[in-house]
Amino acid sequence: MTARQSKPVIDSVQLAESNTQAMIELRSVVKKFSNAAGEFTVLKGVDLTIKSGEFVSIVGKSGSGKSTLLNMVTGIDHPTEGNVVVHGTDIYTGVTESQRSRWRGKNLGIVFQFFQLLPMLTLLENVMLPMDYVDMYDFDERPARAMDLLKLVGLEKFANKLPVLVSTGQQQLAAIARAMACDPPLLVADEPTGNLDSRSADTIIELFQGFVSQGKTIVMVTHDPSLTSRTHRNIIISDGELIDETVSKSLPQLRHRHMLEFTKIVHEKIYQPHATIISRNESVDYFFMIRKGEVDVVLQDKKKKDYVLSRLQAGEFFGEIELLRGGKSIANVRAGEHPVEVLSVPRQEFLRVINESPITADAIGRIVQKRLEEKKIADQRTAGR
Amino acid sequence: MTSSIIELRNVSKTYSTAAGDFTALINVSMDINAGEFLGIIGKSGAGKSTLLNMINGVDQLTSGEVIVHADNEKLSIHNLSEDARALWRGRKMGVVYQSFQLLPMLSLIDNITLPMDLSDNFRVRESKERAMQLLQLMELEEHANKLPAFISGGQQQRVAIARALANDPPILVADEPTGSLDSITADHIFEVFEHLVHEQGKTIVMVTHDVSLVNRFSRSLTIADGELLSDAEPVSKPGKRRKK
Repeated sequence: MTARQSKPVIDSVQLAESNTQAMIELRSVVKKFSNAAGEFTVLKGVDLTIKSGEFVSIVGKSGSGKSTLLNMVTGIDHPTEGNVVVHGTDIYTGVTESQRSRWRGKNLGIVFQFFQLLPMLTLLENVMLPMDYVDMYDFDERPARAMDLLKLVGLEKFANKLPVLVSTGQQQLAAIARAMACDPPLLVADEPTGNLDSRSADTIIELFQGFVSQGKTIVMVTHDPSLTSRTHRNIIISDGELIDETVSKSLPQLRHRHMLEFTKIVHEKIYQPHATIISRNESVDYFFMIRKGEVDVVLQDKKKKDYVLSRLQAGEFFGEIELLRGGKSIANVRAGEHPVEVLSVPRQEFLRVINESPITADAIGRIVQKRLEEKKIADQRTAGR
Repeated sequence: MTSSIIELRNVSKTYSTAAGDFTALINVSMDINAGEFLGIIGKSGAGKSTLLNMINGVDQLTSGEVIVHADNEKLSIHNLSEDARALWRGRKMGVVYQSFQLLPMLSLIDNITLPMDLSDNFRVRESKERAMQLLQLMELEEHANKLPAFISGGQQQRVAIARALANDPPILVADEPTGSLDSITADHIFEVFEHLVHEQGKTIVMVTHDVSLVNRFSRSLTIADGELLSDAEPVSKPGKRRKK
């Protein structure tokens, strides 16, 4: 579910369970390239599970390994070590290139930045091509199915035009229709909007959201931050390693290399419902990020009765006030109604990284300000009771 | 001796848009001669891609005529049905674009056999052999079984040219084929084109915005605002060209 660097020990029972809903599983995937300058490791042991029905974006700087990661899922490239299981098939173990090619035709739709439509075929013929290639659907059924797909992307009027006579946005829509020709459960897109104006990009994301609502799984590499907010999950890859999604969600302003640093040092802990995480007046030595569940920040009124000042959700953090301002905890912090998973970073590491990232310090500073205001108002209120 | 292979007679093309009519080509008349490497040079929006789409019959014209000479016959291609024109184009013309690359999931050799398999011009074994010969011509035979993602952009464009030549068309039309390539890679594409013209007798029509390429063609025409400006035999000194 989450991208992690540590390799959790998975027993076979768990694996069987996760297989039923996992569309993609990468296990300890390493990819090395050799060139004249020597050997270069592009993926450094990636573990990733993407569930059926998820819409996932993958971002990363140029050279971070994001396209290589995608090539592992599509079977275009081979991992040096590790396994890739897509839709229940271990696609690199005991599978020949031509078997993989056939498997891909039936299970995978692929869309690239540059559209790869065949220029000498009409849009309709382009959409029919994959059906011809893997011999799916009756021969007579194919034109009608291709036309339905063109209708879905709003191109039925242009069905008999050659690609050169329609706009680039329309070409990309036709390429998406072609990718869906054999009704694959998984669509993989590499910068599908990279070459388009924002309006065409919008149309494509809406189309993707429609596919997801029908149960398709979509994995999209993009560099456009406005698109990542429209997916279920955003995975960041930095220097061949995946960043913990709780870290990137909690501290989105951090540089990728700092996120990666945190990913490697965070300590994961689970608290049972209502268990105390930090006691009031206790000195705080960690910065906490919530992976799963809710956390209550609790104060006491004059009659020593607890009340909840605020409830924090997954992707939020706490402990920052004490780390940044020094001193002891100003409130009790405890797990909510359900078990809570938190990640903690030791004080020293937290302060060092924050000092190197002024925009993160700013963003956290604003949250500190807001929380102190809330506390002040609450204190005044309780004082008045 | 030059013989005309395609004639354009007073070709005009008007598009209707929400903002009104837009005339992309105005009364264009020109001949394309067998065995020449013709460059059509113009700025963005000058009408050069529209002109190419008239020559290969991809787009409808508003008035005028495009006549092709085939087997001692003259054929007005825009009078043909859509299907007949597609068939004619499939046999007589290869097309290469700046951005239409290869199908990413097919190896290079499969990308080239695809048009042959679609046209049924060759038996399966023949089409494989022919695809391999074309890859050899492009000096890419060692990469035959690779997927396009694993070769460079210039190599991909050479495969796209090989694909355009799959059905052995006498004419190749190319729209900014070097537009996304660096100059050394672009040079290599020109060498391939020159080889096709000089050694194989192909006719090539290429449009580009790049005036510096003018000397690479055996003849060049300039188009601006939908009109042809010049039709001179090798334009060796671009500075001498006179704009009307």
